[in-house]
Amino acid sequence: MSTTETPTGLTLRVGEFEGPLDLLLHLCRTSEIDLAALPVRTITDQYLTHLEAMEFRDLDMAGAYLVMAATLIYLKSKLLVPPDETEEQLDPEAEALRQGLELRLREYARVKAVGVWLGAREAEQALLWGRPVSELPAAEEIPLEDLSVHLLERAIKRLIEEQNRVRPREIAPEPPSILERMTEILSVLRDTWSLLFSSLTGGDRRRSEVVVTLLAVLELVKMGRIRAQQTELFGEIVIERQTGETISNATAQ
Amino acid sequence: MPQPSDVVEALLFASDAPLEAERIREVLDLADVGEARALVDALRERYETAGCALTIVEVGGGFRMVTRPDMAPWLLRLAKTRTKARLSRPALETLAIVAYREPVSRPEVDALRGVNSDAVLDNLLERRLIRIAGRKDAPGRPFLYETTREFLVAFGLRDLGDLPKVEGQLVLPDGVAPETAVVATDGQAQAEQDPRPGGTDVTPGS
Repeated sequence: MSTTETPTGLTLRVGEFEGPLDLLLHLCRTSEIDLAALPVRTITDQYLTHLEAMEFRDLDMAGAYLVMAATLIYLKSKLLVPPDETEEQLDPEAEALRQGLELRLREYARVKAVGVWLGAREAEQALLWGRPVSELPAAEEIPLEDLSVHLLERAIKRLIEEQNRVRPREIAPEPPSILERMTEILSVLRDTWSLLFSSLTGGDRRRSEVVVTLLAVLELVKMGRIRAQQTELFGEIVIERQTGETISNATAQ
Repeated sequence: MPQPSDVVEALLFASDAPLEAERIREVLDLADVGEARALVDALRERYETAGCALTIVEVGGGFRMVTRPDMAPWLLRLAKTRTKARLSRPALETLAIVAYREPVSRPEVDALRGVNSDAVLDNLLERRLIRIAGRKDAPGRPFLYETTREFLVAFGLRDLGDLPKVEGQLVLPDGVAPETAVVATDGQAQAEQDPRPGGTDVTPGS
């Protein structure tokens, strides 16, 4: 039923697995282990071998793997020394734990399978294009069913942020020049991929500053340093670094 | 006087969200929903026989006018991109959990995946594929998540019933012993517990 061979010649890339369950499932598949009779000894040894070869980027992820390792080692320690090596016996408590693990694995296998199915569906649907934006006038009644707490929370946060920005304001003795504004925009873009026009003109800036900012953006677009996109009328303008510069920056990092 | 199916065509063309049969009935003043469906079917058939580049699909509880799949290469060329952005494997699996168990809380998702799902859930929220359905009456009152209509549209599903039938429920191994007993005595589950890549326990629904 279970094989004791360790998967030889297995190449392991860091980050290949999504988590301990993913790794366990992979081990079960490669050594054709029957999930119903999860052989604790074999699987623990294989799991630990893999764990040693892995590198973790964050503590959370490492922790998740270690918790699983601890569970497996605990189970292994609970194994009675059987007369026959092929038989594994556990006391009821440990057996419940083993069965729990087996159930989780089976659940995870289902989740994975559905994930694959969804991926295929998504690929199929990616071939269809519908109309992204309707030009129908907005309904007089606002449909409430599409709203969620999450969106409300975001709206309120944005409102509070805007309010906070408004209060303290220093009055610049001279209006900023277009050149200054251009440098400012470029320096902001050095640290971020893109920014919104409204973030440049937010708060309580004077009309002349908004005009200067717009002119600065247009000038930069003309120079090919940035790209600006406005997807809808009176919508938000998204400002992005021009791709050429993006690439050179990314390689420099 | 325009033909009713012409009107349906105009309605579908002008809508960005899936148009429910009920809405079509309402707008056209039809007797029942079946009549509205028949009109959509007639239109779809007309498109097919004429070899039209458009087709009508039923997703998210309504009808949508979309381009035919074989038009995709040209549209991609028009968009100057190689492919549409796709979801990552963790995102798809998390979405699967939410779809089968909604409303579901983050700790439950974490338990099923065996890893922290904060970032993935935030990403799905941001893409509006899931939304917050409320709070769970449990310690910490965690948010409950559920899938949205955008999810159904993105995956071409009429409703959640279109999801493949999985063997057994996607249950959480909390009360381990009784549930294990159920799974273990289930002959079907025994036969399908060998999870090969791609999953033998998934049969695409219709």
